[in-house]
Amino acid sequence: MASAPSPTPWGYFVRPTEPLLGGGAPQTAVRPPLPVKLVIAGGFGVGKTTAVGAISEIEPLTTEAAITEVAAGVDDLTHTPRKNTTTVAMDFGCLTIDPTLKLYLFGTPGQERFGFMWDDIVEGAVGGLVIVDTRRLDDCYAAVDYFEHKGIPFAVAVNAFDGQVQHTMDEVRWALDVSEGVPVLVFDARERGSVRDALLVVLEQALARTEG
Amino acid sequence: MADGSSPPGPDPVGPASAVRPFLVTAGRVAPTASGKPVPVETQVVATAEGLAGLDLLSFEQHDIVAACRRPQSIAELAARLRLHLNVVRVLAEDLRASGQLTVHVPDAGVAHDASVLRRVIDGLRAIPDSLGVLRETD
Repeated sequence: MASAPSPTPWGYFVRPTEPLLGGGAPQTAVRPPLPVKLVIAGGFGVGKTTAVGAISEIEPLTTEAAITEVAAGVDDLTHTPRKNTTTVAMDFGCLTIDPTLKLYLFGTPGQERFGFMWDDIVEGAVGGLVIVDTRRLDDCYAAVDYFEHKGIPFAVAVNAFDGQVQHTMDEVRWALDVSEGVPVLVFDARERGSVRDALLVVLEQALARTEG
Repeated sequence: MADGSSPPGPDPVGPASAVRPFLVTAGRVAPTASGKPVPVETQVVATAEGLAGLDLLSFEQHDIVAACRRPQSIAELAARLRLHLNVVRVLAEDLRASGQLTVHVPDAGVAHDASVLRRVIDGLRAIPDSLGVLRETD
């Protein structure tokens, strides 16, 4: 059958153009949705989990991404004596767009020392949202650099804690030295509509890129 | 400093299994000898065969197949079953090879597919804010 999914060493690729109902592998009882992944980065306590929780249809889940000898690219951790024991929490949530399409939001620790795990999480992401606390701007440099270096569409979202922002957006843009095309916006991580709009800014960036 | 104290912020992950994580994979740490790990959002679904033979499976394998009655991502499985991401990757590949699961690796092109992005954008725009107010159209 021409439309049969192609086997791979791990299973079947889900192609966006592939009909998601009917056909497929004979043993497949249920066709899973096509997952679309968006990454939310930023320092500790900056509002990543809050933002995920504000819009996710499930309570944010936490999984353990451990810094162990099995993680790829541990070279930069060779100086860390406790490298086998360190774990970091990665929070995520999801949103069903329709029965065939599901948006996943992954919150990853933003500090440089966790950079090794970003490739694992970010691979295949449509874009990133870097959440910033203007009192601790330097917590997000690593994430900004990472997205810029990887060429992943992203936006910078300043979390307005209690409605307060310490700096103007121009000051933040200047301090982070982000490219002109990168949107810098203020949002409230607790407010679903605000998180939705921030994610839309990222998705519009991604869409604009596909249209050249 | 970074190593001296536990950082504030997200709650620590719940109690770890008493069994060393990779014992359940017999020490294997990657799904295939050479392959890249499958993305964390990769969807996993139990097959009819897997569900029929559920009683024959034990421990983690049983839990994974049972959880996959409905499609689950690798990340959801890891979080819900409190297993390391890479343990889930290894076990999911085993269970796929033995016909108990299907593993649906998302095509890398999805991130650059304008029609998919438009569908996500349209879907998100339709979500009301926490007061139930829809986004103003522009």
